[in-house]
Amino acid sequence: MYQYSEQDHQLLLERVEQFRGQVQRRLKGQLSEDEFKQQRLRNGLYLQLHAYMLRVAIPYGLLSAEQMRTLAHIARKYDKGYGHFSTRQNIQYNWPKLEDVPDILDDLAAVEMHAIQTSGNCIRNTTSDPLAGVARDEHEDPRPYCELIRQWSTFHPEFNFLPRKFKIAVTGAIGDRAAVAVHDIGLKLVEGPDGNNGFEVYVGGGLGRTPMIGKLIREYLPKEDMLTYLEAILRVYNQLGRRDNLYKARIKILVHETGEEKFRELVEAEWQKIKSTGLHLREQDIQRIKDFFNDPDYENLADTDTEFENMLLSDPEFARWADKNTELHKQSGYRIVYLSLKSANQPPGDVTADQMDAIADLADKYSLGHIRTTHRQNLVLSDVKLKDLVALWGELKALDLATPNYNHLTDIISCPGLDYCALATARSIPISQAITERFDSYDFVNDLGDLSINISGCINACGHHHVANIGILGVNKKGEEVYQLTLGGSAREDASIGKIIGPAFDADQIVDAIGDVLSVYLENREDPEETFLTAYHRLGQAPFKEKLYG
Amino acid sequence: MALQVYTASLLKEGLVAYLCLEEGAASWTSDIREATAGDGDALTTLKITAEKAEQNNLVIAPYAVDVLETDSGWKASTKREQIRAEGPTVSLPRDASTVSITAAGRQAA
Repeated sequence: MYQYSEQDHQLLLERVEQFRGQVQRRLKGQLSEDEFKQQRLRNGLYLQLHAYMLRVAIPYGLLSAEQMRTLAHIARKYDKGYGHFSTRQNIQYNWPKLEDVPDILDDLAAVEMHAIQTSGNCIRNTTSDPLAGVARDEHEDPRPYCELIRQWSTFHPEFNFLPRKFKIAVTGAIGDRAAVAVHDIGLKLVEGPDGNNGFEVYVGGGLGRTPMIGKLIREYLPKEDMLTYLEAILRVYNQLGRRDNLYKARIKILVHETGEEKFRELVEAEWQKIKSTGLHLREQDIQRIKDFFNDPDYENLADTDTEFENMLLSDPEFARWADKNTELHKQSGYRIVYLSLKSANQPPGDVTADQMDAIADLADKYSLGHIRTTHRQNLVLSDVKLKDLVALWGELKALDLATPNYNHLTDIISCPGLDYCALATARSIPISQAITERFDSYDFVNDLGDLSINISGCINACGHHHVANIGILGVNKKGEEVYQLTLGGSAREDASIGKIIGPAFDADQIVDAIGDVLSVYLENREDPEETFLTAYHRLGQAPFKEKLYG
Repeated sequence: MALQVYTASLLKEGLVAYLCLEEGAASWTSDIREATAGDGDALTTLKITAEKAEQNNLVIAPYAVDVLETDSGWKASTKREQIRAEGPTVSLPRDASTVSITAAGRQAA
C-alpha cells in the first residue's frame, strides 16, 4: 500500500491547521456561513438533515488495519459509535461537531487519511476494484494508476472549481466490480495491439436525474499517457461544461450535447498540445508507484485443506457462507472473503466502532493487515489462507458480518435517504430493512441467484438505483413517500440503465411489488442458471407489468 | 395559513434547533414541541429573531416550518420535518455509544 512521503505528511498537517483556523474564525463570527461553506465542503464537511456529516476518503477503497482502528476511534470519540461505508468506497460520520472536526482530521492525518476533495466541484476520490491485485480475472493491478491519479488530482489548481463534481474509477479486470461505466471517467486496463497493457477510456457516465452509460472515446491509451489524457479531458470539460445550470453541469451532459465524435476530437486536439509535457509518465514514474503495491510474500500453499473440505460437507451454514461470501484468489491456497454489511440488524453499509476494531484485528490475524471497501457497501479481506476460513467464519458470525448474501437479493445498496440526508425526499433504509426481513430465507435468496437491488431516496441516485437489476427510487408525491421501480439495470461489464416499469407504489406496497417481480422471474426463467437480468432481457417488461398492475 | 415555528442548525454542533420566544427572551431548544409557533406579525417577529441569531453566529440557515398542534405540543406537518425533529426512524447501529437521538433525548440547545 502507498506510504506517504515527508512532503505528503507536511501537506496534510498544514491543511489540517489551515482548516482549524478557518473553523475558529467561523466560530468567532469572522467568517460568514457563505464564506465558510466552500472551505468546509473542500474538507468533506456537509450540513445534513440532523447534523454535520464528515466524509472521509478511502483512496481506491484500501485500508490498513491501523487506519480502520482510527476510524473506530473517531466513531467512538467524536460521533455516535458507528460509520457508514458509501458507494464510492468512502466512510461517512453522521454526527460530528464542527469544533471537533479539526481534531478528527488531525487523527486521520496521523494514519495518512483525510477528507480532502470528498465534496465540492473538484475531482473526488478515485475508486477501483475491491479485488485489485488478487483477482483471477485481472490484466493488471489498477491501484498504482489510482494512486498516480490521486497525486495528480489532489489540489490540482486548474481543476479545483470545475462546473460540477468529478468522479473517476479504474479497473484492471475483465469483470467490472467498480461500476466504471457510470463514472465521469472510467478507465479499464486492457491489452493493446502492441501487447502492452493500456486503457480503454470511457467518458460521460453518471447517474442522478439524467443517467448515462459512459462513452468509449479511446480504445487504447498507452499507460504513460494516462495523466496527459485525463488532463485533456478535464480541460475540455472545465472550459466547455455548463456552469449556468446545476442540472446540466456534469460532463455526461457536455458529451451528450457536444456529441461523442466531436467531444473526442476536442479531447484529442487538446491532448496533442500537452501529451509530451511533464505529465507524460516515464516507466520509472510508474514503477516507483508500482513498488508500493508489490505482491506480499504469499506462502506456497496447496489449494485444498482437510478441515475446510470437512466443514463444507458437515456444516451447511459454513458451506453457504463459503459459497456466497468467498472467492478464488489468484494465489493457490488463499481466498478472498467478503464481509457482508447487509445483515438484518443494521442499515446497509453501517459498521459500529466495535465491529471496526474487530475487523482490524481480523485483518491482522488473517489477511496481511489490509481491508478493502466495495462500491456495494461491503468490506473485503483479500488474502485469507484457505486453512483459516473456518476460524475466520466463526469470528465473523459472532460479529454479525457473515450473512451469506454477497451479490444476492439482500445485499442491498441503500443511500442514507430521508433518515439522514438533507436532499432526500423519501426514506431508503426502512425499505431495505423491510425487504431483508420479508425475504430472510437463505434457500429463497440462494435460489434467486445473482441479483441486485439498489435503493435511492431521491433523484440524485446515490443508491445507484438506475443500475440495479431491480431499482427502487423513493420520491415525495403530495406529501407521501412513494417508490418507483426500475428493472433491468446493471453496473457491471454489461452496464445498462434500468427502465421504469410503471406508476409508483406506496411504502406499504413496495415490498409486495418486489415479491411480484421475483415471482415472475421464478415462474418464467428457463432454468436456475438463467439470471434475473438475462430472463428480464428475454421476457421484456410485459409479464412484470401484467403481474404488478394487472 | 398554518402556524409555523422557526428552525435552524446550531453552528457549533450542527444539531437541529427550534426557536422559543417568551416575553421577548429568545432561546433555542431541540424539542419542537416547546417551540414558539405563530403566524402574521408573530411569525415576522420569530423570523427577525432567528435571523439575528444567524447574524450572531448561533445558528445556521433558519427557516419556517408548518406545525400542527397536538396534546403534547407542536408537531411538524411534513414527513421530512417530522424526521428532522425526531431523528432517524431506524435504530442506530446497536453498539452506538450514545443515547437515542429522539427529540426528547437531545440535549437542550
